[in-house]
Amino acid sequence: MTHQPLDPEPRAPVSRTLKLALKYGFILFWSAFVVFPFLWALTTSFKDANGVTNGATWLPWLQYQPSTQGWASLFGGPGGTNIVRPYLNSIWVTLGASAVSITLGTLAAYGLSRFTFRFLFFRNADITFFFISQRIMPPIVLAIPFFLMLRALGLLDSLAGLILVYVALLMPIAVWVMVDFFNSIPRGLDEMAWMDGCDPVTTFFRVILPNAVPGLVVAGMFCVIFGWNDFFFAFTLTFTQTQLLPVSIVALNSSVTPWWALSASALVSIAPLVLLAFVVERFLSKGGLAGAVR
Amino acid sequence: MYRQKYLFLTPGLIALVAIILFPLLFTIRVSFSGWDVYNPGLNWKGGQNFSRLLADSRYWAALGRLSVMAVGTVLIQYVLGFALALLVWRDVIARRFFRVLFLVPMMTTPVIMSVIWRTIFHESLGPLNPIIRGLGLPGVPWLSDPVWAFVAVMLVEIWQWTPFMFLLLLAGLLSLPSEPYLAARIDGAGPVRTFFSVTFPGLAAISVGAIVIRLIEASKILDTVYVMTSGGPGESTETASYYIYIRGLRDFQIGYSAALSIVYLVIMIVALTVIAKLLVRFLVRPAP
Amino acid sequence: MLEIRDLTHAEDGVTHLDHVSARLAPGTLTTILGRTGAGKTSLLRTIAGLLVPDSGEVSLDGKSWSRLPPWKRPTAMVTQQFINYPHLSTLDNVAFPLVRKGARRAAARESARAMLDRVGLSAMVGRRPSELSGGQQQRVAIARALVKQAPVLLLDEPFVNLDYKLREDLREELVDMLRNESGLIVLYASTEPREALSLGDRILLMAEGRLLDDGEPQQVFGAPATIEAARVISDPPINILPLTVGEHVAAGPFGAQDAGDLTRDLAPGEYRLGLRAADLRPGGRHVARVVLSEVSGSETVTHLDLAGFPLVMHEKSVVTHPPGAEIAVDANLARGFIYGADGTLLRREAPHGQD
Repeated sequence: MTHQPLDPEPRAPVSRTLKLALKYGFILFWSAFVVFPFLWALTTSFKDANGVTNGATWLPWLQYQPSTQGWASLFGGPGGTNIVRPYLNSIWVTLGASAVSITLGTLAAYGLSRFTFRFLFFRNADITFFFISQRIMPPIVLAIPFFLMLRALGLLDSLAGLILVYVALLMPIAVWVMVDFFNSIPRGLDEMAWMDGCDPVTTFFRVILPNAVPGLVVAGMFCVIFGWNDFFFAFTLTFTQTQLLPVSIVALNSSVTPWWALSASALVSIAPLVLLAFVVERFLSKGGLAGAVR
Repeated sequence: MYRQKYLFLTPGLIALVAIILFPLLFTIRVSFSGWDVYNPGLNWKGGQNFSRLLADSRYWAALGRLSVMAVGTVLIQYVLGFALALLVWRDVIARRFFRVLFLVPMMTTPVIMSVIWRTIFHESLGPLNPIIRGLGLPGVPWLSDPVWAFVAVMLVEIWQWTPFMFLLLLAGLLSLPSEPYLAARIDGAGPVRTFFSVTFPGLAAISVGAIVIRLIEASKILDTVYVMTSGGPGESTETASYYIYIRGLRDFQIGYSAALSIVYLVIMIVALTVIAKLLVRFLVRPAP
Repeated sequence: MLEIRDLTHAEDGVTHLDHVSARLAPGTLTTILGRTGAGKTSLLRTIAGLLVPDSGEVSLDGKSWSRLPPWKRPTAMVTQQFINYPHLSTLDNVAFPLVRKGARRAAARESARAMLDRVGLSAMVGRRPSELSGGQQQRVAIARALVKQAPVLLLDEPFVNLDYKLREDLREELVDMLRNESGLIVLYASTEPREALSLGDRILLMAEGRLLDDGEPQQVFGAPATIEAARVISDPPINILPLTVGEHVAAGPFGAQDAGDLTRDLAPGEYRLGLRAADLRPGGRHVARVVLSEVSGSETVTHLDLAGFPLVMHEKSVVTHPPGAEIAVDANLARGFIYGADGTLLRREAPHGQD
């Protein structure tokens, strides 16, 4: 059985092509905008002093002589700094802080989603707001107090100290994402688990958590992104013993520093999360975020 | 009967309060002191810092700039992010490739990208001006002109954070039910009408969440300013965060910068709460 | 013996339970009948422990459940919305409560398999609930509720979200299955009077949180204790007419000749007469105007206006009464229920057979 098309009379072919042209035009324009800094950094990383000072050029061999100085500098070559150590430090701190934040944040989020709390005049919504509002404070406000606190605890310039601070920064994100997510799981499921003999803690671990994977992935993603990319706290709370990646790269940022070392370091430091973008997209396309985003 | 509920909330809450409470209380206390290079330590200066703050036009200018930048960039990010999400939602070649590509900037470290952008915006050695000249327009004194520097910072912000809006809105689009669209087609609604009557309202809740979160993050902007312009030229890209940084960690006027921070915090909380409530009122439950 | 004592609960100004008391013996199926919002779900949830009442108590065999959280109560529940564990297979879904109680996984799965067999789902053991149809999902829920062998089984309109035929089939299956379980106290909430009539050993009639009537179906339907009860159990709606007994007997538009023996020796005064729609028939001397007539299955329900009195007539055949037409009707008032001014039942005909 064929249906009559529901369209009004077909659109004129001219306007159809125009629309397509606009659509892909915009997509290509934005793609160029996105790729632009990366391409430039890539090109620049293969330059030497001549390549840079002779003006902006793009094509190796045709417009400038490529050199591997930039990439050599990554491992302690001239003009650069060994970024292996900071790289590893960043990984540890980011993963550690994210793990703790997600754990504590998810637990808190479940409590806020399912039960009622009252402390003086504070209610669930207020408590949730309290968590989220921690993000409002700009790093500088907290920088000095954190500095003093870590110094008192003997945790300055250490991985543990950074993880401690990052937990306070990342937990609000985990709470934000997970409260929303848990609210989208019907309470009937919890109640069914109760009827089947599960107390709230068992319900959480055996019934709700297995169904919370999409939310956890989203929370994890945001925690990792914000953790890996922090600059300011790493900047003020570490010096020589412990260095995180963003700090070690920005340290290269002065007009004297060779652009090639800068570009190479920058590209390498960004790589891991770019891979994350692939993971996120796959997850997104599989409908993974459907329950996680309100 | 439900006493276990405390098991859930308290670990996280206590951890957060423990880590944040001291700094917060400390900052409040310090704001009443005159801690600086010459008088280190917690003395008591009463409300002196606050009265100085009220007369500090540089601070208020910084706040104003910050507001313009934050609101401006977030709005642009929202519109662009929405457009991009709609474009790669369906019926596009290499849809998944573009989706990955559009996500990438958000995954990068803002500071590090600013380092690269700084080389891009360089007037003589950077690649941007040659392109502009190639289009027949005069070269732009990016980082040495107050207005253009401001624009440059905004451009970087937009490049960096549009993917955030893009991600959330795309996720929202992908989880929209298809029935309203069918109904709209039957009613003969064209694409524009369908967008405003079906798509936009369906994403109202996510939009509010995304905008508020982005506003919170955008107002903290510091990394880009620090690396690219150092607040300059002059004070043209000096945001509130940067000014607090100058007073606090550069001039080492800890007491004063604490006062600046506290006032900033209060203003932000009030402003964001109001904005959030307004957005919910007008986007999620539009007036009939 | 499950004892419910004086359960009261109100929220936001709405009374969900109003001093509800009842005693339920093991081996019985009790239907809780009432309209939506009558308090059926609140009652079931209170027994399950999901709702904490403002006052009142539930106890089993003398042991109070007041301090017992849901996960410690020996109850099982099947809800209107099909709720199964999405992340578990059908088999593990049914095995879940047994594992929780401490059974070994293998033994639990054995019992689960047997139970799934009884509900006719042995072919679906490996599937996830999302891959099953509505009826199948509800069967899994029922299997899971039964496998626990809890002494109290609560069913809240379990088939209301399924299609008509499936509803009938599953109802029969359920009754069959329950026959094999001895000693269970089963509570089944429903809004359909016919379902209540055919299902249970006993009916609890509820409206606005209050218990209107409590007894065997014969009694509840054959002699509804109050006008309100009569209204709730009647489908099609019951006709309530003002009854005046004095020199003359007048029941709405009908007179003494229709009332027959029912009003003999009744003290003069104002009463109300409840007349079932089935006790009105075409023919006779009263002429009524048809307002609306609808055919449902193989029966016809007609709304009439007789001298200003709205009446409902129920015929067990398919007839056409066009709106606006005038037809003659007759009332068999002898089969009516007489209610006093306070709404309680005073008199009805001697029962002979069921309606």
